[in-house]
Amino acid sequence: MKRDIAISIIFRVISYAAFLVVIAIFLTFILEGFMYFSPEFFTQFPQMGMTKGGIFPAIVGSVSVLMISLAVAIPLGVFTGVFLSEYAGKGFFSKIVDTSITALSGVPSIVYGLFGLSIFCITLGFRTSILSGSLTLAIMTLPVISSSVREALQAVPRELRESAYALGAKKSEVVFKVVLVAAKERIITAVLIGGGRVIGETAPILLTGAIFYSTMMPKGILDPVMTLPSHIYYITMAYGQSAQWMAKGASAFLMIFILIIYSTAFYIRRKISNAHK
Amino acid sequence: MPINDDKPSIVISVRNFNAYYSDKKALKEINLDFYKNKITAIIGPSGCGKSTLLRSINRMNDEIAGFRTEGEILYNGKNVNDKKLDLTLYRKNVGMVFQKPTPFPMSIYDNVSFGPRIHGIKNKSKIEDIVESSLKKAALWEEVKDELHKSALSLSGGQQQRLCIARALAVDPEVILLDEPTSALDPIATQKIEILLEELSQNYSIIIVTHNLSQAVRISDYMAYMFQGDLIEYDSTSKIIRSPKNELTEQYLTGRIG
Repeated sequence: MKRDIAISIIFRVISYAAFLVVIAIFLTFILEGFMYFSPEFFTQFPQMGMTKGGIFPAIVGSVSVLMISLAVAIPLGVFTGVFLSEYAGKGFFSKIVDTSITALSGVPSIVYGLFGLSIFCITLGFRTSILSGSLTLAIMTLPVISSSVREALQAVPRELRESAYALGAKKSEVVFKVVLVAAKERIITAVLIGGGRVIGETAPILLTGAIFYSTMMPKGILDPVMTLPSHIYYITMAYGQSAQWMAKGASAFLMIFILIIYSTAFYIRRKISNAHK
Repeated sequence: MPINDDKPSIVISVRNFNAYYSDKKALKEINLDFYKNKITAIIGPSGCGKSTLLRSINRMNDEIAGFRTEGEILYNGKNVNDKKLDLTLYRKNVGMVFQKPTPFPMSIYDNVSFGPRIHGIKNKSKIEDIVESSLKKAALWEEVKDELHKSALSLSGGQQQRLCIARALAVDPEVILLDEPTSALDPIATQKIEILLEELSQNYSIIIVTHNLSQAVRISDYMAYMFQGDLIEYDSTSKIIRSPKNELTEQYLTGRIG
């Protein structure tokens, strides 16, 4: 008994410590950057060598890259997940696909960046652009989304599928009208977590879509953009003290953005687990 | 095992039926007839093969790796394991209700209309009629008529199970299979379902697997007692209760096998 209590205390201390580290990171960035928030900060271009103005073009860039990459990654990821869970069976082929996807989620993001640079920017001729960056990030999140979708579908109880089959439903009807609907919340959660990763990712976008500084908005998806993470990176690496405030402000904004995405995801997840009680 | 009663007509007959999960034989040479518009209870201890037999009737075990069968199950004279059988249409005629209530995560209305819609009924007022009449047959209409668009998951366990019965009725089946439908419910909800099944047996042929002997005695017209994959005894419920012919049946009825 004494040992149980000791072990439970140790585990509790460790998990609280991990939680505190996360809180500390978020708080540090948000508190350090929050003071620079102003209407101009969100609506203006950077001015005077990044010492004045705001991060408007980087916000627009990040949001457009996020939207386009999710628009590509969601359908592909959901279909791959559905295929793996419902159609691939348990044979050799499905094992290969499954292993590749697991391996893909472990590939460092800079490698995705290099891949995107070589395929989209150069081979396909999209150059450094919103499109190249979005496609690269889409490929990077694809394994995250598809494996979560697969897990979400496999968590749907067998009895629910059988009930649909017992009514005379065909396999496609069971999968698309019952199983996918039942897994809806989990899939949305997976997509949100994937989106959180897309918006914060730096290395791939630096290589494929980001521009150092721009005085005007991109005219189309074949133009490069400023993005939040790349903007933070450039300021930190290449500018003096007088510009650092902008990196802090942008970091705080990025952190809040990610916090909102993840809180939404966890809120939905909690709603599911409560509904199952 | 023939029964020499007043001979109701047969809806499903099982002929020399064997079933295997890989190498394990789960059903051994089963022969019995299920009668039209009667309640037949399949009883027996856990692992006796009663659920396997039930699930073989609407081929629910098709998806299970390693499951195979020998012999025949005939529905109105047609072999249900025939490769040419339209399984979709067949399952429309033979509905099923499971142990745990399995409402789809959608509204009460969408749950009941699911079957008619996948079978091609598009007319909205026709679907509305089916939903209403199915819920009425399942004795749920009065409780839910004002909240048809609420999530089915918000209903109580007993209501969910009656919803599943309504959903099965909505495709207008002839036979309803029930796999321990009340084992997850409290006594009051159980009683409601039992009364409902007795009413439904006027128009539907009901086959129910149950662990609950007194339930089988209360509601069934015929009773099949199974033990370790064998059909031990099959007769009208009153006869089995009064004078079981087989030693094993008697032991089960008196609580010595359970």
